[in-house]
Amino acid sequence: MAHLRAIVGEEGLLEDSSRAAPYECDGLAHERCRPEVVLLPRSTLEVSKCLALLHSHSIPVVPRGAGTGLTGGATPVEGGVLLGTARMRRVIEVNAKDRFARVEAGLVNIDLTRACCDEGLFYAPDPSSQAACSLGGNVANNSGGPHCFKHGNTTRHVIGLVIVMANGEVLDLSAPEVDPVGYDLVGLFVGSEGMFGIATEVTVRLTPTPEAIETLLGVFASLDDACDSVSAIIAGGWDASALEILDKLTIAAVEASVFAAGYPKDAEAVLLVEVEGSAVECHENAEGILAILADHGVLEVRRAQSERERQKLWAARKGAYGAMGRIAPDLYVSDVVVPRTKLREMVRATTDICTARGLKILNVFHAGDGNLHPNISYDRRDSDELRRVIEAGDEMARVCVEAGGTLSGEHGIGLEKLAQMKLYFSDEDLELMHTVRRAWDPSQNMNPGKLLPIRACMETRTRPVPVEASGRAGS
Amino acid sequence: MQTTPTQSAPCTDAQLVDYAASLDCVHCGLCLRTCPTYELTGRESASPRGRIHMMRSVAEGELKPDAAFIDELDLCLLCRHCESACPSGVNFAAMLEHTRARLLDSSERSWLVRRALGLGLGRVLPSPRWIAFLAGALRFLQRLGLVQLASRLPGKVGQAAAACPPVPPARERRALPRHTPALGQRRGSVSVLEGCIMPPLLGRVNRATVAVLAAAGREVHCPRGASCCGSLHAHNGDLQGARELARRLIDKHSGLLGDDGELLPIVTNSAGCSSHMKHYGALLADDADWAERAAVFGKQVFDFSEYLVRFAFDDLRPALGPLEVAQPICWDDPCHLCHGQGIRDEPRALLDALSIERVELKESESCCGSAGLYSVLRPLDSRAILAPRLAALKATGARTLVSANPGCQLQWSGGLRQTGSEVEVLHIAELLERALAHGRESGE
Ligand SMILES: Cc1cc2nc3c(=O)[nH]c(=O)nc-3n(C[C@H](O)[C@H](O)[C@H](O)COP(=O)(O)OP(=O)(O)OC[C@H]3O[C@@H](n4cnc5c(N)ncnc54)[C@H](O)[C@@H]3O)c2cc1C
Ligand code: SF4
Ligand code: SF4
Repeated sequence: MAHLRAIVGEEGLLEDSSRAAPYECDGLAHERCRPEVVLLPRSTLEVSKCLALLHSHSIPVVPRGAGTGLTGGATPVEGGVLLGTARMRRVIEVNAKDRFARVEAGLVNIDLTRACCDEGLFYAPDPSSQAACSLGGNVANNSGGPHCFKHGNTTRHVIGLVIVMANGEVLDLSAPEVDPVGYDLVGLFVGSEGMFGIATEVTVRLTPTPEAIETLLGVFASLDDACDSVSAIIAGGWDASALEILDKLTIAAVEASVFAAGYPKDAEAVLLVEVEGSAVECHENAEGILAILADHGVLEVRRAQSERERQKLWAARKGAYGAMGRIAPDLYVSDVVVPRTKLREMVRATTDICTARGLKILNVFHAGDGNLHPNISYDRRDSDELRRVIEAGDEMARVCVEAGGTLSGEHGIGLEKLAQMKLYFSDEDLELMHTVRRAWDPSQNMNPGKLLPIRACMETRTRPVPVEASGRAGS
Repeated sequence: MQTTPTQSAPCTDAQLVDYAASLDCVHCGLCLRTCPTYELTGRESASPRGRIHMMRSVAEGELKPDAAFIDELDLCLLCRHCESACPSGVNFAAMLEHTRARLLDSSERSWLVRRALGLGLGRVLPSPRWIAFLAGALRFLQRLGLVQLASRLPGKVGQAAAACPPVPPARERRALPRHTPALGQRRGSVSVLEGCIMPPLLGRVNRATVAVLAAAGREVHCPRGASCCGSLHAHNGDLQGARELARRLIDKHSGLLGDDGELLPIVTNSAGCSSHMKHYGALLADDADWAERAAVFGKQVFDFSEYLVRFAFDDLRPALGPLEVAQPICWDDPCHLCHGQGIRDEPRALLDALSIERVELKESESCCGSAGLYSVLRPLDSRAILAPRLAALKATGARTLVSANPGCQLQWSGGLRQTGSEVEVLHIAELLERALAHGRESGE
């Protein structure tokens, strides 16, 4: 412990139970494990020294950014150390000419756009949690966001990384070459959920701010109509940059919150559409989409009249998850992808799965990607309700996979979808993934127990050595 | 008057927390980035979500309310920035005040701190005489150069001395007149809150407030014997004292009725006070004799810029003329104005009516670290919170900073003084008053 403290400094090591308590869980609050030690290093060098030391004692390490993950990826493991990047938030370089930025992994997503907006640039991946989540977390989960429909998820924007490997070795992949020679290790690392190593620096591509943006809000009398118009917009080849649907209950929650933006409370569903590009493209696309909305029985279309109004519409959309806290203390956010031609059926199917179990479901989702987020408001103190929530989550994943979709659009697997991995992947697939993971981290002490289901007989895990017992409440 | 600070009744750990309120948090994390103490430390236990998580854990018996727990709660500035970011509508400030009230006498705190807090809240703040006496004494020490000397000491004492605002001469510390007639045609009447630390430290702001209101045709009343609103008590856990002061204030204003027989609007030039007084209804909700009066009173409370823009803008405008002020100016949103009351556009509208060059301050809604007694109780943390704000101010190139809260004004002035900056800090009422003076001269 003294060695660790010497590396990260007095303020960088938390071991009392009060200060460790908030690190018990991420956004998946029913999975909790209080860490015995939390490390908050300030630089790549400190991360490297910490990992080297922990490696030599075979102590598992769980990386954490802002803890906004929704699948338990940052949930600590018994006997392990939690390593957070919250004290590594510097913008190292913004290169407006070559349109890239190099930042520390703990930087909050929105601060990157703030740092380059004066240069007419922005960072395109915009998870709804962008006001809080870290770039490192985005990389680890290959996060998406409303505008990733046009711009692509995180992996399309990351061009370099500095990674500290499990044994403390520093792998510098940050040379901004367009096409790396040999294997694309950066590409492989994105989406690795903290199991390959810890990213300490991220180099990302920046996107020029579009000349024109048009934001439309279509109001519908049924969720079906909203879904069908999205399918039609995509089939028609119209170039939208974001296509988001919010249902009635979600609208009610948002409109009761500080982010109220005047979404119509009596609508059954609204579709938020954005188009961007040159003024001409923007206009053409908007007109084409308006025609489709009209064909699908849109009741009313509102157009954002100012940047401020546009920002408000988006702030409301992005605050939607949190706003559901008004309904019940906990929120389970599912994340599944369905073929976009089956949007309407799958929204129905997932809704039925929840209502059949007496659960309260709200829908707000990235319709353009077919990325559904059935949200269940519940109370984790009610163990039976929690059981039904987990069951519904499993069932929703199953029907979506069966319909030709996938397990996760952007939130990752973490702990939450561990069991479901077997639905989607064969034993051989999983074995291959294990092999890749072992290549990165032979010790398998980086974020153990996440993403890859452990098969009891084949797995040879080194038993974690507990860090000195600390005064945990109740123990 | 003297209030008796709450002797927190022995309560179980679970009762320390407003458990029901803690359940409003869904753990989404959207508030993290807004929290100055999280920004400063990177510790989640120093973030709103973390604090709520700890409180909930205490209520559920999973955590002991130990010294670390109390320290993380004490580190909170109660700036309420997290509330502005929270889609779930978590009432963070109320929750924290609830717990602070029950921890007031916790044995985990040092005896000295508890005594000092008890004395400050119970005796000094509610008493204009005590305050006047202390201000006089402080000025004496400052004139002797002793405070400046103390500011060279290392650690807390030095910081506190360095942060100590210069006390102006006695003539600036005199009380407001009880009654000031409207200038020109009377278009209405208001009463103003004099405040506890305003008269000795920022009496000129109080006078500017009255002058601007009078120029807008308002007859201004200032009842005696009701100076402190009790917000500092509530923030620091003395809810009992806060209630006593609220009752006194309501009582002293009760005779001030308008032509329509309704209670006069109470105009307040301190955002921290107006934000607190608007919630008197909630503060006294359990007091059958006072609940209703308190609710009515709360509805009549207006912040200075809110009142002017909503009710007196057109009356004031003709009185405004060109003014002398170092430009560009910039506006710093006091936490209890923007987060506490949602007032953001009104002060900007007033400033823009003056036709002077105004620049926006980055993160203008972040706390400056003043936070009521915080700057006195935790001078080092308070200065650390201010540091990035000073840098942001410098980046704007502004030469005048405008605020609307005495604490912020003193905090910024102190920080700027220490860094040798020439930027002047003014209350928005002072700026408007300057425009009046010129307006009158050029009209004469
Ligand atoms: C309100 C809300 C809205 C959301 N909206 C979206 C959305 O629109 N799209 C979306 O994709 N996601 C969304 N999410 C999920 C979440 O915000 C993202 O997954 C985000 O990228 C997590 O970032 P974080 O910094 O909070 O990471 P954490 O939750 O702290 O960690 C996530 C994972 O990354 C690992 N990790 C963290 N930092 C590092 C690092 N430096 N190196 C290696 N591994 C690391 C952790 O071990 C963990 O496995 C939302 C979450 C919330 C609460
Ligand atoms: S009130 Fe301010 S300091 Fe306290 S938790 Fe909220 S944002 Fe942080
Ligand atoms: S924004 Fe609100 S609901 Fe979300 S973590 Fe913060 S306090 Fe909790």
